[in-house]
Amino acid sequence: MPGADSDERFAILVVRSGGIAGLSKQWRAEPDPDRAPHWRELVESCPWDAPPTPPSGADRYQWRIEVHRGDTAVHRARLSDAQVEGPWRSLVDEVRQAASPGSGAR
Amino acid sequence: MTPGIVPPFLLDRLASTDDPRLARAAAAARKTLAMPRPPRPTRRRLRLSIDGDALVAEAVPAPDRVISDAGNTENLPGRRVRSEDEPASGDSAVDEAYEGLGATYDFFWDAFARDGIDAAGGSLLATVHFGDDYDNAFWNGERMVFGDGDGDVFVGFTRSLSVIAHELGHGVTEAAGGLEYQGQSGALNESLSDVFGALAEQHHRGERADEASWLIGAGIFAAAVQGEALRSMKAPGTAYDDDVLGKDPQPGHMRDYVETDDDNGGVHINSGIPNRAFFLLATALGGFAWERAGLIWYRTLTAGTLSPTADFAAFARATLAAATTEYGEESEEVAAVRAAWAGVGVEEDAGS
Repeated sequence: MPGADSDERFAILVVRSGGIAGLSKQWRAEPDPDRAPHWRELVESCPWDAPPTPPSGADRYQWRIEVHRGDTAVHRARLSDAQVEGPWRSLVDEVRQAASPGSGAR
Repeated sequence: MTPGIVPPFLLDRLASTDDPRLARAAAAARKTLAMPRPPRPTRRRLRLSIDGDALVAEAVPAPDRVISDAGNTENLPGRRVRSEDEPASGDSAVDEAYEGLGATYDFFWDAFARDGIDAAGGSLLATVHFGDDYDNAFWNGERMVFGDGDGDVFVGFTRSLSVIAHELGHGVTEAAGGLEYQGQSGALNESLSDVFGALAEQHHRGERADEASWLIGAGIFAAAVQGEALRSMKAPGTAYDDDVLGKDPQPGHMRDYVETDDDNGGVHINSGIPNRAFFLLATALGGFAWERAGLIWYRTLTAGTLSPTADFAAFARATLAAATTEYGEESEEVAAVRAAWAGVGVEEDAGS
């Protein structure tokens, strides 16, 4: 991760917006230091610099994924639903799993 | 023309381009357009109705519905489970989708003499049981896809005819040339689908404008959710107010326009503004909303002159032009269209 010291805490934010309901839902994971290498690998395997693709169809989800170190966002990507596959999908799934239950859940 | 995978309007645009980088594509498009197409048989059915003392029998086009089941995976199209003329499957999502597509098809035919999504009798394709606890329904460019909901917030997206017609409406908008799914043009795309969703439901129920709920997605929230629907065209911002979901964020006037980068620039939020304009028009004119208000919006979409990047003001101007063509400059309809846009703070003169 650019500029991230290995011992520094970081957080990953996933925001899902759109869909026919237009509801936003977000998940935030702040990995424990002992799990940081695994998360760093997940983050670094994502193509952060890939060009965005225009949305196709309608009412698909739109995703915003950010990695924060302190108050600074060191990575930010906006993805169409179709782009959330491969490493992005792994990252999103792990963040959703690690996020505290109840963030947007009934 | 028999529909191919590339829509005719796109072929026309490609064929007429003089961009040297697209010379080969333009030549191919011209060749494709010039090819004779075999006539495709159109499904027809006999419809009986009573007009005064007379029994009227007419042959009208019929839909060609194909419902598939994704089996709670995200693989499309899934397994085909009910096709046209087949009996009910016993699976409520399958049968609701089938019936909902049929009611939406009937609405488009009766109101606008439109034969399905492509206006040429093409199949209406839908997939149900998409994903695991999937809280969404969408149009993927070729089919309508419905999740089952998670059971806590949503209890299934095929329960609402306005949702099914909303998705089919996206197909109609795309086939008509499309509205870019971003910012104001995206909000217009969304609003048109809500208009078609509400009108299909009103047509199915035989409701007049002043009798209708003007709700989109009534019946898809779980009982615990404090809300009656996804959106209200009559009173944007009032459809739900829930501890978990928060409050319906839709504005109903330009002064409350929401600037955001999420949701493709707030396409499901700012659609409240043109939604309310349509409601104001429909209730000012009275009667069945699809007969005049709906026709003006439909003609605006399908005239072939609407830019895919139209903003609210450009769309308002286009609706005025469509109403003028249909009813005349001094008509009640034109005055009502102008008043409707003024009522939501959209100035059709802006940017002209």
